[in-house]
Amino acid sequence: MSALATAAAGRSGRPKTGHRVRVAAGVFACVVFLFPVFWMVLTSLKDQRDIFTTPPTLFFTPTLEHYIGYMQRADITRRLINTVIVAAGAGIVSIVAGSMAGYALARIKLRGAGTIGVLILLSRGVPPIALAVPMFLVARKLGVTDQHITLILAYCTFLIPYVMWLMRGFFLALPKELEESAMIDGCSRFGAFVKIILPISLPGLLSTLIFSMILAWEELLFALVLTNRYASTIPVAIAGIAGDTVNGANWGALTAVGTITVVPVVIFALLVQKWLIQGLADGATKG
Amino acid sequence: MVKFDAANAVSRRALMVAAAAVMLTGVPAYAQDNGLGTPEQPVEVRMIANEAFANQWQTLMVPEFNKAYPNIKVTIDGVPYVELLAKTMLDATGPTPTYDILIADDPWVPQLAEVGALADLKSAEFAGWTAADYDWADFNAAPLAAGEWKGVQYGVPLRSNMLMMFYNRALYEKAGVPEPTPALTWAEYLEQAPKLVQDTNADGKPDAWAVDTYFVREPLTPTIWQTIMNSNGGRLLDDNGKPAFNSEAGIAALETHKKLLEFAPTGAVSHGFSESLQAFRQGVVATMFNWGSVFKGSAIDPKTTTLKPEQVGIQVMPLGSTGPGAHRGIWNGTVSAKSEHKQAAWAVVQWLSSKQGEAWHSANLGVFPARKSTLASEPSEAWLKPVFAALQQAYDASEKGQMWRIRHPRSDAAQQILADEVSRAMAGQATAAEALQTAADKIEKVLN
Amino acid sequence: MTMAAERSARHSRSRTWTRLGDFASRWSFMAPAAIILGALLAYPIFYTIEISFSRFDLMTFSAVEWVGWENYAHVLDDYRFWASMKVTLIYLALALPIQIALGFGIAFLINAEWRGRAVVRALFIIPMVVAPVVAGGVFRMILDPLWGIMNYLLGLVGIGPLDWFGDPNLAMAAIVIIDTWRWTPFVVLIATAALLALPKDVFEAADIDGANWWSKLWSITLPLLVPIIAATFVVRWLGAVKMFDIALAATYGGPGGATNVINLFIYEEAFRSLRFAESAAMAVIILVLTMILTGLFLVGTRRLEDHY
Repeated sequence: MSALATAAAGRSGRPKTGHRVRVAAGVFACVVFLFPVFWMVLTSLKDQRDIFTTPPTLFFTPTLEHYIGYMQRADITRRLINTVIVAAGAGIVSIVAGSMAGYALARIKLRGAGTIGVLILLSRGVPPIALAVPMFLVARKLGVTDQHITLILAYCTFLIPYVMWLMRGFFLALPKELEESAMIDGCSRFGAFVKIILPISLPGLLSTLIFSMILAWEELLFALVLTNRYASTIPVAIAGIAGDTVNGANWGALTAVGTITVVPVVIFALLVQKWLIQGLADGATKG
Repeated sequence: MVKFDAANAVSRRALMVAAAAVMLTGVPAYAQDNGLGTPEQPVEVRMIANEAFANQWQTLMVPEFNKAYPNIKVTIDGVPYVELLAKTMLDATGPTPTYDILIADDPWVPQLAEVGALADLKSAEFAGWTAADYDWADFNAAPLAAGEWKGVQYGVPLRSNMLMMFYNRALYEKAGVPEPTPALTWAEYLEQAPKLVQDTNADGKPDAWAVDTYFVREPLTPTIWQTIMNSNGGRLLDDNGKPAFNSEAGIAALETHKKLLEFAPTGAVSHGFSESLQAFRQGVVATMFNWGSVFKGSAIDPKTTTLKPEQVGIQVMPLGSTGPGAHRGIWNGTVSAKSEHKQAAWAVVQWLSSKQGEAWHSANLGVFPARKSTLASEPSEAWLKPVFAALQQAYDASEKGQMWRIRHPRSDAAQQILADEVSRAMAGQATAAEALQTAADKIEKVLN
Repeated sequence: MTMAAERSARHSRSRTWTRLGDFASRWSFMAPAAIILGALLAYPIFYTIEISFSRFDLMTFSAVEWVGWENYAHVLDDYRFWASMKVTLIYLALALPIQIALGFGIAFLINAEWRGRAVVRALFIIPMVVAPVVAGGVFRMILDPLWGIMNYLLGLVGIGPLDWFGDPNLAMAAIVIIDTWRWTPFVVLIATAALLALPKDVFEAADIDGANWWSKLWSITLPLLVPIIAATFVVRWLGAVKMFDIALAATYGGPGGATNVINLFIYEEAFRSLRFAESAAMAVIILVLTMILTGLFLVGTRRLEDHY
């Protein structure tokens, strides 16, 4: 039980009511925050002409035509697969490089590493628009435009600083003796990292991985500039639907594709949510 | 941890093998143009187009094209409209561009031409590939001029669109106001507008308004103001290419555009293409100034509109002192100057804009034709008749008043400035005169 | 050489080797991240700085002629740049405190012990996952003065139709609402973790001493949470400065530029107006300002942590 709950329950007076109010307020906040998502799913089931009625309707004949119509399009399914590949790839690469760097900042005495760490964090301050065009020019010179690896590396430029900063926090929370005892027994530093530190920080790793993948999943600018067709991702399709200058924004389709893109990440997060909270608990406090 | 797209890896290998084969046969790669392809060696042509119609073209237009040219493989990549110009420029300015066909919006042709990205479609080389019955003269002057710059024809109109006036007959009847005709003037229109703000369900609050159109801060909003100005004799640029829109006609036109807000629905100042469309389709506004291509979705398709076909009328925009108003918005098919498959690329564009191709395009995909012959012929569906008639009027009007966006290599920067200043005027942050003066000063610097 | 001297010489040699090896193994942890970022960011940053000082040629997409500070002068001369900076500052001043305060407040609420706690916590991630363009679009629908459910509900309690996107102040409020909706869950989840990790013994001691709810909050909870509040603030600040897709999707930067945040303006100058040199100059200015302010934040954070 949380400290505050214990405190609340242990107080004499009316602990139960105060507690109930708190729970109710929490649920209310959840409902308020989920309302737009509910509205999004609702809209995706409406015919175009039911979406903009005055007053807005809750009762209408639902239709799955937006879902069926869009999921049948080859380019949408291809883009969905690409988004999964790129998000997973970028997430994994950034976790590997970022957690190693975070470990270096947290546990290893290195002169100058702190400066490098701050520089890396500051690199997140570069406006992405400024980076997109030169990245495209380099990718074109190397002949790697419109490929997954290009997008994965481009995403790593803003994911690695984020991962490094968070994992540094997690590692700071661990007791110092952990790897020292292993190294005295003859284990290499890297071995200790892999065999001891990582398993203990698995919750933190997973939660950071989820947030990285979410950020990569919905990134639009680099995907627009660096890909044409073979590595194009779902956010590009969404931008195309929203910015349709010929037929007008197809709100039903937009919300349908939006809902489709939310579902996989939510399922993944629900599956690992147990570790998610616990992981953040350890890491964030020493940020 | 690196994942490759298997298909892409294979196609790259195939390209390398093909390049090696080409080198062995002694033909330099950059001069290669394998014509219209053969069954053993088909030609691949890549097109970059607006996401809004890329998929429709890929799945419906390309198979039809392949019936006439079975050995040309066409791949179309869609890009959202706002990024299309930047991506096209990025690709076209590279040493070996990916795209052979560039679909360019109306004001982009000068920019693309100036960076040397476009091929001259009437050059000797292309003339050799053009069919005898292609008939350039059959195109209406206004759409064809969209693909021309400094006397060279770089593009042909593939999707023609004009800003027009849509009206809801039922709402006009309810208000007791006579239906609009092409002889309607702006003065009459503004006089009728207050009567068209109605309370149709007698609950004390107005729920039907006179008009909705572009008011929001975006590059296409100034086209409404410009049409009003053009139809009253005003011009964007004078003959020396200097801004001429901060004239009396321009200021009056902007004030008229702003005045429309008084008769528009609540929140109209943030309305653009989609919102005005929705307002009209829900039967909430009596008139809409919007692109003609939305007619089908606004009058015919019951899934997207509450209006019936007999309720919706379409015509040119009201008369100014010099003539009716319309505004040209043409998607041009152009061929990349650095393309290695110019003949095949021109085959695609030529087919789509030929008499037969345009007729097919119009009948099957509902796209507006640019040719006089197609407009004069019997349309495939009855409801298209008044639309074609209005379209012909619109072409004539826009040609007379030069009703199109600035044609200049820096036109996009200029259009963005216009968008900012018109938006400030709409929001009341500047008077029409101030906004246009600021715009004129900035645009004069940009265009030089 | 004597045996001892030989042995010590061998020792010192192997010690040097192990020291080098250790040095290498320690730096090898930092290496992948530093190498990847260095390789990928070096050229783009250099290119941006280069074209900001040059005349940009669209035909080759490169810098052709050194013009010194001319682009910067153009940018600083443009009233739109200053208006955009002002808009961005207002947005940051509103959004960041609200998100932090709301995030921690909600974390406190949903942390109450009850059966559905885990489900509620998991559901809270969802707003973060909705694509920014879709979020902007959905809120455009919800807040629309004519068709939106928000105005409909407000109308039921008698509040007149609010022009969410036409009134500059309400448009800014709309942007702040959407951004808060998307990012408060992030703060909530971090705050939840922090609250869970608070040490119980301090609270129990305070209870024994008869402290009430308010004084516990001020003297114990808040001071213990200061490090994490500061860290979340820095992460959110870096993310909020980059926001532009929400403004683009919801208000298009209008009305009249009232929600034209700086990154949206940079994007428009680059992709719409094709003025890459001016856009690069703005990007450099923003980068420098961000670095200075982040540096100040980090120093301030360190001081706060030491204080508490």
